[in-house]
Amino acid sequence: MSASAARPARRRRSDLHQTRFLQPRQPAFWLYVVIVFLTASVTLAEQGFYRDISAAGWALSWVLLLVYALPVFLVVYYLDLYEREPLPLVFAALVWGAVAATTLSAIANGGWGLVVARVAGPEFAARWTAALTAPLVEETLKGIGVVLIYLIARDEVDDVMDGFVYGAVCGLGFAVVEDVFYFMSVFGGQPSGVLNGFFLRVIASGLYSHVLYTGLVGMGIGFVVSRRSDVSHARRVWVCAGLCALAVFAHFLWNSPWLDLFPAGPWTLGDWPVVFGATAVKGMPLLVFVGVAVWLARGREHRWLQATLADEVGRGGLSQGELEQLEDPGLRRRARREMRRRAGRRAATLLHRLQREQVNLAMVRSRVPDATDPALARQRAYCASLRDALQAIPGAAPAGSSAGAAGRPGVPGPLDGAG
Amino acid sequence: MDHTATTSNDPPLRPDEPLLQRRAERRWWPTLAVAGVVLVVVFGGFVTAAALSEQAGAPVTVGSSVTVQPLSGWVTADTTPVGDLPFARMTRGGGNLDVVVVPGYGGAAGDLAHDYVDRVLQQELTRLSVSDALETVTLLDGSVAQRFHYVGATDTGQSVEGEVTAVVTASGDGVVFDGWAPEGLLAFVDGDLHTMIDRAVFA
Repeated sequence: MSASAARPARRRRSDLHQTRFLQPRQPAFWLYVVIVFLTASVTLAEQGFYRDISAAGWALSWVLLLVYALPVFLVVYYLDLYEREPLPLVFAALVWGAVAATTLSAIANGGWGLVVARVAGPEFAARWTAALTAPLVEETLKGIGVVLIYLIARDEVDDVMDGFVYGAVCGLGFAVVEDVFYFMSVFGGQPSGVLNGFFLRVIASGLYSHVLYTGLVGMGIGFVVSRRSDVSHARRVWVCAGLCALAVFAHFLWNSPWLDLFPAGPWTLGDWPVVFGATAVKGMPLLVFVGVAVWLARGREHRWLQATLADEVGRGGLSQGELEQLEDPGLRRRARREMRRRAGRRAATLLHRLQREQVNLAMVRSRVPDATDPALARQRAYCASLRDALQAIPGAAPAGSSAGAAGRPGVPGPLDGAG
Repeated sequence: MDHTATTSNDPPLRPDEPLLQRRAERRWWPTLAVAGVVLVVVFGGFVTAAALSEQAGAPVTVGSSVTVQPLSGWVTADTTPVGDLPFARMTRGGGNLDVVVVPGYGGAAGDLAHDYVDRVLQQELTRLSVSDALETVTLLDGSVAQRFHYVGATDTGQSVEGEVTAVVTASGDGVVFDGWAPEGLLAFVDGDLHTMIDRAVFA
């Protein structure tokens, strides 16, 4: 096989999947742009104000929060095992949470706080405003970010896990900018105050915050938009409403004076274990719930991949061995490591690309009416061309294998030995 | 049934288009609905709070210089003159609005604000801290006032915070509005305080 013949075909990937964020024909795209543009000026002015208060404290705030946010972002992003969301859309969700949702929430919380004070009096408002206004206001405004992402790129929110990823990332953006506000305004803004704030708001309670709430809201939105084919409209709406209500209640509980087991300040070193316990009492049940929900959603994704690709085995795009490998993220990683050891970095990269396109094969299969659809045939051919290119790399194909074996059901493909 | 069939005016469907036909007319409605929700959530509180700020009870006239209309929830607690100065206190839970009139004051609003600090706040509060600069505000009837904030402690040790608005009327009388509350509560009554001060009628 000549090298030129083995080169995989190039094509525009967004034709079949991975919708772009820039969609000027979508009204939702322009609504997103206008709101983010308007609120960004407020956010930037606010950050400039904090920098003027204490440049060192402000810089330390961002450094500490990036150290926290980067791993959280990666964990959330890679939780979606089979169909990673397009990064531009994920970043759009992050920016919405950090810029638009924070600014709009600050305005809205002020207005609804006036209502609480008007209705129930200042003493009640002082104790309960944060619990009564912020959960509804903030979860709504963050959730709207996920809705806008869906309206901009409907094809990309096609599973509950997708909703979780966009929601959690939106919540992460919100949490980071809100934490900067707290570090600079409530904890004094000086480096020592910033460190205190980081300990309380991130180390002691960072697991329980906006990432979970909005992840749950995102799951609800993902459920309502992705289960049209197998769940009734009423049930989808109820499940979505239930998940959103749970997120709001968890946020309410966090902000309310209920279950307030924090020791009286100022805290000494011996109080910190109590602080950890106090935050866990309020936040751990939701963390467990979201963990179970994510585990169930991943299981559903796994079953979806199995069911969707079962018919594709032997049609050129996928072998039985490759399917088994595809279903297990650990096996996939091991196969890439083995390929790299055997045939080098380029082969491992190509194998990674093949695996990704085989997952995309499942997506295309789920979106076309039947197995003879030309789009599906093109995706199969694309996977086959990637496999051919991989086999052409010296050392990539295990000894004794042949290209033809890849397409026959039940016969291990050229890459099966890598697992 | 051919799910991918389109009318002659539709662009061709992409291979991975959802099975049912695209309905372009729906794209605007969700976006408009989202914009509506954003507007309601962000500004609905202010509109609702304004609607709830109803005038209630009889107007309170202090001296013959100013009339204040209490909002719902506020009651007149005291109208005993302080020395020879007409005075009224309205209260709502932890929030209070004191109105003091200085007949024939003659000076500027800024001077009145400074005099109030020296002759009233300094006498009544310990650990007094006053904001650095006076803020110029314009009330609904066009009167120009000077405003500042303070924190301090009463003789019982309770920390209080307040906002003073000083006005000199067209007839030369001084009027001081002192809205105050236990520390931490002022933010929850300042909307009412501003509404009552803005709507005050000067002789």
